[in-house]
Amino acid sequence: MESKHPGARRRLLPAVPPPPAFLRRGPFRDGAFSSALHEPRTAVVLGRWLGAALLVCFLTGLISHVLQDPPGPLSGLLPARPVNGYRVTQGLHVISGLAAVPLAGAKLWTVYPRLFEWPPARSATHALERLGIAVLVAAVLLELFTGLLNTLQWYPWPFPFRQTHYWVGWLATGGLLVHIAAKAPLIAGNWRRPQVRVPGRRAFLTSVAAAVGAVTLTTAGQTVPWLRTLNLLAPRRPDLGPQGLPVNRTAAQAGTVAVPATWRLRVDGPRPYELTLDELAQLPQHEAVLPIACVEGWSASARWGGVRVADLLARAGAPAGSALRVTSLETDGPYRVMEMPAQYAEDPLTLLALRVNGETLDADHGFPARIIAPNRPGVLQTKWVARLEVVR
Amino acid sequence: MTAWLRGAALAAGLALIGFGLYGLLTDPYLTDPAQVLTWAVGALVLHDAVWLPLLCLVGARLARGPVLRGWLVVAAAVTAAGLPAVLRADDDHGNPSLLPLPYLRNWPAVLAATAALALVTWLVIWLVRRWRRPRPVSRRGDRS
Repeated sequence: MESKHPGARRRLLPAVPPPPAFLRRGPFRDGAFSSALHEPRTAVVLGRWLGAALLVCFLTGLISHVLQDPPGPLSGLLPARPVNGYRVTQGLHVISGLAAVPLAGAKLWTVYPRLFEWPPARSATHALERLGIAVLVAAVLLELFTGLLNTLQWYPWPFPFRQTHYWVGWLATGGLLVHIAAKAPLIAGNWRRPQVRVPGRRAFLTSVAAAVGAVTLTTAGQTVPWLRTLNLLAPRRPDLGPQGLPVNRTAAQAGTVAVPATWRLRVDGPRPYELTLDELAQLPQHEAVLPIACVEGWSASARWGGVRVADLLARAGAPAGSALRVTSLETDGPYRVMEMPAQYAEDPLTLLALRVNGETLDADHGFPARIIAPNRPGVLQTKWVARLEVVR
Repeated sequence: MTAWLRGAALAAGLALIGFGLYGLLTDPYLTDPAQVLTWAVGALVLHDAVWLPLLCLVGARLARGPVLRGWLVVAAAVTAAGLPAVLRADDDHGNPSLLPLPYLRNWPAVLAATAALALVTWLVIWLVRRWRRPRPVSRRGDRS
């Protein structure tokens, strides 16, 4: 089939000399793999499902990256609506990543004999194409492995998770596009169901679909409310945690268990001021039902009560369209200081929350005060707030 | 048109790979990109040289029949997703809301429940075949 490849007709790169025949042993033998399912139609069906799952992972991952670290000119364009945008996209990110585990397993099993095709390379182009597949497979395996373990906050590797997962995501998606381009004739030729039925194909594809279903049903309840009763294997349950809400970083981990008795909220702007917790509680209070949504794929909605951030900024004399910098009491950590673009700071739903579900915030949820804003990553919902700063 | 699309996909793919490599090599937090390479190659070797040969061996020699194989596919997927939680159940870094479920009970329970479903599937297939067997052959001929 591959000989119909247009590249084979007009080779830009020279042919590779054939390897000695005595190397053709073990899996390199003809007929070393007995299953009839190592064939292109099965690979195309699985490849479509896997490709879709990986593209969803890439796009939702990109959304999270842009929301967490907006490139300068983009930060003013990030939308505060829909309120559940981050929750849905990051729920999908982890759901499709978990679905990609059985899909990648099945796809790689189907094409496994191609790893031992003979001769190993017919031309330099063919060798490059195979190198591209190695990049794709290695990148996808690393992404699925690191992503899965990150949902458990388990980091057995020596490199930082977030940056690696981000950059390798580009490699995986690039490798996928190169692979699709290289295999385009084969994919097109097997896109529709063939007349000849391969025995066992339907049963195998049904098994893979069942595996995706089983993994999804037993884990998606960490973000999808109506699947909560089946949530047996996910690392989170949205109703388990202090005050019925999960926690990403505890007060003990952040070193903020005991808030100093002298705590005051400091607001810096054209007219800087300080407020005690009692004074904050005497300002006009508002409530908002907003989710805490984590990039790790869990989310939980709660009713938050507190002071509108917009009111606090107006009191400091902030001009319209001002952005905000929020500093936490945490002594360190990558999210101690958080930047909030103006559209979130002005949003009536964005609160400096003092209560959750009617109770004073637990230390783990950010006592004495935390930020809660619509369509924002959980790590930017800064807890243990010490200072708000108007920035231009 | 298709050739144009194909070329565009190839160019875009190469550009994305180039961007990813550039990022891996220049990101200030990634002080040793060779570690990433080691783990990526390690994942590839473990998957292609250890896991897949084992899987092919089990599939070809031990697991017969589509229902048993199907359940093994489901069991492998459930294990891949659930086993890390089983292994880490006691390590929540002092955060009780992380890994709050009894995974050592839930994982075997999911395996057992899917095995029971597989058994029912097998029984249904067996009964349907048994019910069909005494029928005249001509009835099968009608079904294309």
